[in-house]
Amino acid sequence: MSTAQASELAHEHEEAPRASTRVYVEIAVVLTVLTVLEIWAFYVPAVQPILIPLLMVLSGAKFALVVMFYMHLKFDHRAYTAIFGPLLTLGAFIVIALMIILAYFLGAPPTA
Amino acid sequence: MAVAIPQEAVRGRENYLREGGLLSWLITIDHKRIGVLYGLTSLGFMGLAGIEALLMRIQLAQPDNHFLSADVYNQFFTMHGTTMIFLVIMPLGLGFFGNVAMPLQIGARDVAFPRLNALSYWIFLFGALFMYSSFLFGGGPDAGWFGYANLTERFFTPGTRVDFWAIGLIILGFSSILGSLNFFVTIVNMRAPGMTFMRMPIFVWNILVASILVLVAFPPLTVGLIFLVMDRFIGTHFYSTVAGATPILWQHLFWIFGHPEVYILALPAFGIISETIPCFSRKPLFGYAAMAYATALIGFISYGVWGHHMFASGMGPIADAAFSLSTMIIAIPTGIKVYSWVATTWGGDFVKNTSFYYALAFVIQFTIGGLTGVMHAQPAMDLQQNGSYFIVAHFHYVIGGGSLFAFLSGIYYWWPKMTGKMMDERLGKLNFWLICIGFNMTFFPMHILGLGGMPRRVYTYGAGFHWAFWNMFETVGAFVMGVGILVFVIAIIQSLMSAETAVADPWDGRTLEWSIPSPPPIYNFAEIPHVHSKDAFWEMKHGRAQESRQPAAQPEHGAGGHGIHMPAPSLFPILLAAGLALVGIGAIAWLRITFVGVLIVYLAIIGMGFEYGTYGEHPSKERGDDAFPLDSRKVGMWTFIGSESLFFASLIGTYMVYKGRDLVGPTAKEILEIPLTSFSTFVLLMSSLLMVLALAAFERGNIRAGRNWLFGTAGLGCVFLGGQAYEFTKFFREGVTLQHNLFGQTFYTLVGFHGLHVLLGVIWLLTLAFASFKGMVPKKRALAVEFGGLYWHFVDIVWIVIFSLIYLMDKVTGA
Ligand code: HEM
Ligand SMILES: [Cu+2]
Repeated sequence: MSTAQASELAHEHEEAPRASTRVYVEIAVVLTVLTVLEIWAFYVPAVQPILIPLLMVLSGAKFALVVMFYMHLKFDHRAYTAIFGPLLTLGAFIVIALMIILAYFLGAPPTA
Repeated sequence: MAVAIPQEAVRGRENYLREGGLLSWLITIDHKRIGVLYGLTSLGFMGLAGIEALLMRIQLAQPDNHFLSADVYNQFFTMHGTTMIFLVIMPLGLGFFGNVAMPLQIGARDVAFPRLNALSYWIFLFGALFMYSSFLFGGGPDAGWFGYANLTERFFTPGTRVDFWAIGLIILGFSSILGSLNFFVTIVNMRAPGMTFMRMPIFVWNILVASILVLVAFPPLTVGLIFLVMDRFIGTHFYSTVAGATPILWQHLFWIFGHPEVYILALPAFGIISETIPCFSRKPLFGYAAMAYATALIGFISYGVWGHHMFASGMGPIADAAFSLSTMIIAIPTGIKVYSWVATTWGGDFVKNTSFYYALAFVIQFTIGGLTGVMHAQPAMDLQQNGSYFIVAHFHYVIGGGSLFAFLSGIYYWWPKMTGKMMDERLGKLNFWLICIGFNMTFFPMHILGLGGMPRRVYTYGAGFHWAFWNMFETVGAFVMGVGILVFVIAIIQSLMSAETAVADPWDGRTLEWSIPSPPPIYNFAEIPHVHSKDAFWEMKHGRAQESRQPAAQPEHGAGGHGIHMPAPSLFPILLAAGLALVGIGAIAWLRITFVGVLIVYLAIIGMGFEYGTYGEHPSKERGDDAFPLDSRKVGMWTFIGSESLFFASLIGTYMVYKGRDLVGPTAKEILEIPLTSFSTFVLLMSSLLMVLALAAFERGNIRAGRNWLFGTAGLGCVFLGGQAYEFTKFFREGVTLQHNLFGQTFYTLVGFHGLHVLLGVIWLLTLAFASFKGMVPKKRALAVEFGGLYWHFVDIVWIVIFSLIYLMDKVTGA
C-alpha cells in the first residue's frame, strides 16, 4: 500500500506543467467552434427536429473539454474524477426525475 | 504476547480537556473538543425538545383537553420535530460521534480542516439559536418539520415564524455541508498508513456514507428553502397555483433531501452498534465486507426512494410503483445489517453492561421500525397509514428506539476515552430500563391508535373515538422515559465528579482509539500507527501483525509527542459564523445588518485563508510522509464543486419543470436574446482560457504574468456580469419581473444564482491578484490559484449547460 501511495504521491507532485499553452489555446478554439455550431443549429430551421439531441452532444463536449483540460481532470489523480463524476450524475438524475414526475403530475402545459 | 500499551493517563498540559482556560474553547480547533461542544449543545436541545414533547403528551392524555392551545401545540410539534432531527440526532451522530471517534479510529491527529470543523460547529450553534429566537418574536415556527407548501406561504402563515424556520434551516444546512465535506476528505485522505478502505472500522464506513449523503441531500433542500424565502419575502410564486406552479414541487425537493436525511440519522447509529456489539460479545463483527457494501448500497439507494413520502399526493401509478419497489429494495441491505448484528452476538461471551443493553435494544426496536417501514412502502397500505399515528410510531421506532438508543450505547462506550472516567453501571442499568420501558410504552400503542384512525398533528380529539386509554398510557410512558433521561444526566454528572480512573483500553477494544491514553493527548497519537489488518489494535495486542509492526515514527514525531506541531487555535471560525448569523438576522429585522454580516464573512474568510503561512502549499510534501497521496484541499474543492452541482441541478430541474407553463407572457421563447447571450458565453469561455494561463504562470513562478492573467479573467467576468445586468434591466422594462410569471421567477433565480457565483469568483480572483502584489502568492503557493481556478471553471461549465438548456432549447417547449 505505502509504495503504491508513494508512487501516486510522486505523480501528484510532478512539477511538469500539465499541458502547454498551445494546448490550452487549441482547446479554446475548439470551444469557440462548438459554440458557433450550437448557435448555427439554433438558427437553421432544417436542424430543428434534432435540435435537442444535437445541442446536448455539443454542450456535453464543451463541458467535458473544460473539465478535462482546464480543470485538469485528465492529468490529475483519478480520485478527483471519482468524486466529481458520481455527484454530477446524481445532479442529472434529479433534473430528469423531476421533469418526468412533475410533467406527469401537472399534465400538458397550457401553451403547448 | 502483549504489547506495551501506555496505560498511564496523560495529565495536565497534554490532556485535551485540560489545556487552557474556558475561553480557549471559543477558539479551539481540536476535533475532540469540538465533538464535546457538539455533544453538550445537542443534549441541551434534546432537553428542550423533550420538554416540548412532554407538554404535548400532557395535552393529548385526555380527550377534548385544553392544556395547550392549538396554536401552541402546532409550534411545539413543529419545533419538537425540527429540533430532534436537525439539532439533536444529526449533530449527535455526525458532529459529536463523528468528531470524537472517527479521527481516532483512523489514526489521525485531527480532521483534514480543523478550522472548518470549528466553523461548522459555530454555524450550527448560531443557526440553532437563531431559529429558536423565533419564540421571542411572536411565537415559534408552526408549519411542521416538513414545512409543507402552500401552508408555509405568507398568505396562509403570516408573521415571522416560518421566516425563522426557513432561514434557520438554510444556515444549519451550511454547517452540515461544511462539516460533512470535512469528514469526507478526512476519511478519504487522512487514514493511517496501511488502513485501506476494507480495513476501516465499520463506524468510519458509516460516517463516510452519511457525510456523502449530507453533501448530496442538503443542496436540494437549500434550493427548496430559497424558493420558500423568495415566495415569502419578494412575492414569487414557486409553490402557489395562482401562477401555474404547484406546491408539490416543495414536497419533491424536501423529500429528495428528507429520505437521505433519515439515513443520515441512522447510519452513524449503525456504525456505533457495529462497534459495541462485537466488543461486548467478544467476537469480531460477522460479515465485515457485507456490512461495508450494505452501508454503501443504503447510501446509494436512499437517494431514489423519496417518493414513498408522497404516495398520497397523486404521483400516478408508474411513479408509485417505482418508488414502492426501490423502497422495498432498500430494506435488503438494511436487513443484511440486522442479520450481521444478530449473527455477531450468536454464541458470544457477553459483557452485560449498559452499552451492550442499549445496543441490543437498538437491534430489536430498529427492526420493528424497519418492518413498519416496509409496510407503508406499499402504496395501497400507505394511503391508510399516511398522516396517522402509525407513521409516528414508525419513525420514532427507527429514530428514537433506533438512533437514540445507539447513541446512548455509544456514549457509554466512548465515555471513558473522552473523559478518562468510568460511568456507574447501576445508574446505567437504571436509566436503561426506565428509558427502554418508557419508550415502548409511549410509542408501541401508537401503532394501534394509528390503525384505529387517529391522525397525527392534531392538538386534541373527541372522547367518542375511544382513543383515550392508549393516549393516557402513552403519556405515562413518556414521563417514565423522561425520568430515565434525568437519571442518565445524573449518571453523567456523577461520573464527571468522580476521580479519573479509566485506563486506556477498558473494554479490550479492537480499534485504534483504545491504543492511546484516556483522555487522549491533544495530538492523539504520539506515533502515527501503521495498520496491517482490520481490527488494527486487536492485532497489535493479540495478533500476528505484532512481529511485522514497523516503527512508524517520523523523525519529527519524537517519543512522548514532544515536537508534534498541532495547528494553532483560531478566532476566525466563530467570527465567520457570527457574520453568517447576522446575515440571517438582517434578512428578518433590518437589511443593513445583512451587509455588515456579509462584510464580516468576507474578512473572516480572507483572514482564515492567509492565517497560516502554509496557505496554498503542498502539506504532504512538507510533512514528508507518504500517507496522503492527494492534497486534502483539492479533494475538498472537488467535493464542494460536486455538491454545488446538485444545487444547480435543483435550480435547473425547477426551471425545466415550470418551462412553458406560464399563464401570462412574455415567455422564454418570446424574450430571450440569443446574440447577446452568445457573446457573453464566448466571453466566459475565454475567461477560462485566461484562468488556466494564470495558473500555469504562477506554477512557473512568473508572478507578474500570472497576476495579469488573473486581472484579465476577472475583467472578462465583469463583462459577463455587465451583459447580464443589461439583459435583466431590459426584461424588467418589458414587464418580466420575478413576480410576473413562472418564466420570470425561475429564470432570474437560476441565472441570478449563477451570476452571484460569477461575482464571488471575481472577488476571489481579485483578492488573489492583489495578494500577489504583497508577495503572498509565490510559486510554492500556486495551489491557492488552482483552487480559485477550479471554482471559476465550474462557474463556466454551469453556464455551458444553462446556455444550451435555457437559451437555445427555448424553441421547443415542454421538452
Ligand atoms: C427499512 C427501512 C425503512 C423503510 C422501508 C421506511 C419507509 C418509510 C415510508 C414508506 C415512510 C412514509 C410514510 C408516510 O408518510 O406515509 C416513512 C416515513 C418516515 N420514516 Fe421511514 N423507512 C425506513 C427507515 C427509516 C429510518 C432508518 C428512519 C430514521 C432514522 C426513518 C424515518 C422516517 C421518518 C422521519 C418518516 C416520517 C416523515 C414525516 O412524514 O414527517 N425511516 N418511512
Ligand atoms: Cu423515507
